[in-house]
Amino acid sequence: MSMMRASGVKDAMTATSVPPTASLMRWVIAATLPGIATMSYFFGLGVISNVVIAAVFGVALEAAVLWLRKRPIRVTLNDSSALLTGVLLGASLPPASPWWLIGVGMIAAIVVAKQLYGGLGHNPFNPAMVGYALLLVSFPTYMTLWAPPQALIPNGLWAQIAGTLPTAQLDSLSGATPLDAFKHKGEAVLASEFWATNPLPDGTLSAWRWVALAWLAGGVLLLVKRVISWHIPIAMLGSVLLLATLFYLSDPSHFASPLFHLLTGATLFGAFFIATDPVSAATSQRGKLIYGAGIGALIIIIRTVGGYPDAVAFAVLLMNLCVPLLDLYSVPRPTGHPNTSSGERP
Amino acid sequence: MSNAYDFPGGIYPPERKQRSNRSALTEAPLPSRVILTLQQHSGQAATPCVAPGDTVKVGSVIAKREGMISSDLHASISGMVSEVNATQISIEGDGQDEWLRLPPLAWQYVEPHALLERLNDSGIVGLGGAGFPTHIKARVVERHAINTLVINAAECEPYITVDDLTLRHHANEVLEGAQIIAKLCGAQHIIIGIEDNKPEAIEALKHALSNSQPISIELKVIATRYPSGGERQLIKRLLNLNVPSGGLPADVGVLCHNPGTLLAILHAVRDGQPLVSRVVTLTGEAISQPGNRWVRLGTSVRELLEQAGLNTPELHQVIQGGPMMGTPLLTLDAPVTKLTNCLIAATIEELPPPPAESPCIRCGECESVCPVALLPQQLHWYARAQDDAKLERYHLFDCIECGACSYVCPSHIPLVVDYREAKSRLRLQRIETAKAEHAKHRFEFRQARLAREEAEKQARKEARQAQQRRPSNTIAASSEKVDLRGLRIAHAAAKASVKKAEKTLARVAQEDPKQSLDDFEMQLATAQENLKAAELQLAQAREQQSSEESS
Repeated sequence: MSMMRASGVKDAMTATSVPPTASLMRWVIAATLPGIATMSYFFGLGVISNVVIAAVFGVALEAAVLWLRKRPIRVTLNDSSALLTGVLLGASLPPASPWWLIGVGMIAAIVVAKQLYGGLGHNPFNPAMVGYALLLVSFPTYMTLWAPPQALIPNGLWAQIAGTLPTAQLDSLSGATPLDAFKHKGEAVLASEFWATNPLPDGTLSAWRWVALAWLAGGVLLLVKRVISWHIPIAMLGSVLLLATLFYLSDPSHFASPLFHLLTGATLFGAFFIATDPVSAATSQRGKLIYGAGIGALIIIIRTVGGYPDAVAFAVLLMNLCVPLLDLYSVPRPTGHPNTSSGERP
Repeated sequence: MSNAYDFPGGIYPPERKQRSNRSALTEAPLPSRVILTLQQHSGQAATPCVAPGDTVKVGSVIAKREGMISSDLHASISGMVSEVNATQISIEGDGQDEWLRLPPLAWQYVEPHALLERLNDSGIVGLGGAGFPTHIKARVVERHAINTLVINAAECEPYITVDDLTLRHHANEVLEGAQIIAKLCGAQHIIIGIEDNKPEAIEALKHALSNSQPISIELKVIATRYPSGGERQLIKRLLNLNVPSGGLPADVGVLCHNPGTLLAILHAVRDGQPLVSRVVTLTGEAISQPGNRWVRLGTSVRELLEQAGLNTPELHQVIQGGPMMGTPLLTLDAPVTKLTNCLIAATIEELPPPPAESPCIRCGECESVCPVALLPQQLHWYARAQDDAKLERYHLFDCIECGACSYVCPSHIPLVVDYREAKSRLRLQRIETAKAEHAKHRFEFRQARLAREEAEKQARKEARQAQQRRPSNTIAASSEKVDLRGLRIAHAAAKASVKKAEKTLARVAQEDPKQSLDDFEMQLATAQENLKAAELQLAQAREQQSSEESS
């Protein structure tokens, strides 16, 4: 009852308070724009087509499931969460992915990972990452087709999006991401030798760095606007840097440098846009720190010891699995409770 | 502020205090009719002791306290009692405003029990909002050493300016009231905690503090932040002490009082004037003359607001208390009670209805503003799921219902409403599980009452026999030896168990004001019956012994 008025005070004076849920989502979407723009600049309009197709799929699928579930459609769509999931999955895919691939990914994300669990606020797993992981496991050829930096409208763009490009031609388009190349350099090759061979097409490394910095800029915007809290990104980046440094110092000739881990692949994108999804993350501040640190650690472990060159999706999903446990064991001690473990173990 | 410690979380809602703090504190016109509800304090409702047709003066007792946690009620205008029913007493005024005062007490010289009795007789309860009977609160010294008296003048809720205006106009008297309580409780320090958004009140206090004070008083100005006026939050901020969970400020040697209560205490002691009026903030965009008024208890809210220039078409709702923790009034015909500190006549633009709720996305904003460091997002989840075990383990009952979490929630979830519902559900469950226990206590009470009646009968019989014996001057040798020592021990034990029952009751009532007290009151009554019986038996045995000795 009284909270009616609490909200009332808030709405009359929005300047002092946190934006409502829908505008939180819209802020996140807005903050992806520098990253998406920079990626398009280096990798062509295929990036934007990914995002647009995924967003359309996201909204349409959400509306369809809501209709089937007999839930209010317009009000729910208004929270922009399906749109955001589309933007995030679209931005994660290799540029100019065929429309059906994006569609399959979005079905996994919106229908399975989100709506079947009860919709916004109830999904235990990050929907975009469920979609991404499903695609990576099911369609590895398409998912590793990351072209080197290229023109804004490369040859065959439209055919590629339409899914009509012959497979033989697809291969000719493909390049390797820096993480990919480093991963598959071979055990015998020293890091210094590898870089000396100039393994990547010109400008690849710097393109990836610019994209990473653009994601960082978007992330800083979210932090400044208090849309996300600092706990998860800082813990995650901290643990990436710490573990990468340990590996690197133990054998610089074999392991990539911490900066390489930070500035290539999806590390920064993941830290600010993926891991910070509050619904599937740990909820207490202490839990968020452990959650973020766990994701960072898993990223480095999978990248260096595991089978995948980048690992943000799997690291996030694995930590999603740990959230109930983290939530249970990271309850803060309320004021007035004695400083013993009994107060912390619910 | 330099010398303030801190509690976690907190928010900065718009203050909106300027609307009511710009005009001086004035007297509201004498109402022609008052309705005094029997329950205007925590604990049990008072029992009427007048009948329709009785004439009363201002200050006449019209209802007596019932049980231990309760309070007397006095007529707030002079005139005739027109109606007495189960919940309220109505008085038609005669316009004479004739008073019936108690004799003044010089608090510096009287015994503590006289002061306690005066607080009891004057119907003083905490005027900050909880309405806990002051004489019970003052008896805390029987169990705890009190070191510091905190004057809680933080007044952190938006809109309310009662303490602000009370201090501007009556700083000296509030401080004198504090001296009374400090003396009564043996406190060695008095600290005033006040937020820095009340410069005039702070100035008035500084001026008043230039007079010599028997017990030293320290003024601590703290930065404005909601909810620093919460008892625990203020104690943390002023003294860096953590009141234990489920405990009382007294557990860390602190007693908190609101300035209005201290002023009422002074009036009761120095002037013999019972609690018949209080200061109420009248504010909101729907009245044209906002401000603070001295209002007689029982005055109708409608009358008050109309006198303040109520614009009825603009009025959306009236809130009693502040916008964060208060409750909307269902009818304007409700009377002012001892608990009415503020009436907000709000327009719809001012306090609009909340937007539709959307799902919790676990963003954790609520956690970062919780002044108790709870996890509101998890409590929300478990409250909706009615997972009671989890609710208790996530410390639901530590929630002070300040509303900071609901205030910041981006999904507009009425979190505190959920917590209140969950709390009352859990309280009900506790009562259910305690039913068997309660039945046992009822049985014990009955046994005790019967035993006491038996003892009384016995005493009367003995007295009769003694009278018959005396003229004849013959003594029937008592065959059985009187066990005086055993009776003395039984009497002491009965006395101790009364004390214990009182202690438990006072504690429970203060720890959770919404807890049902019936069972505890029953246990206390049982102990009192036992004590009476023991007293009678002891007196009788002593009589018998002395008569044996004299023979």
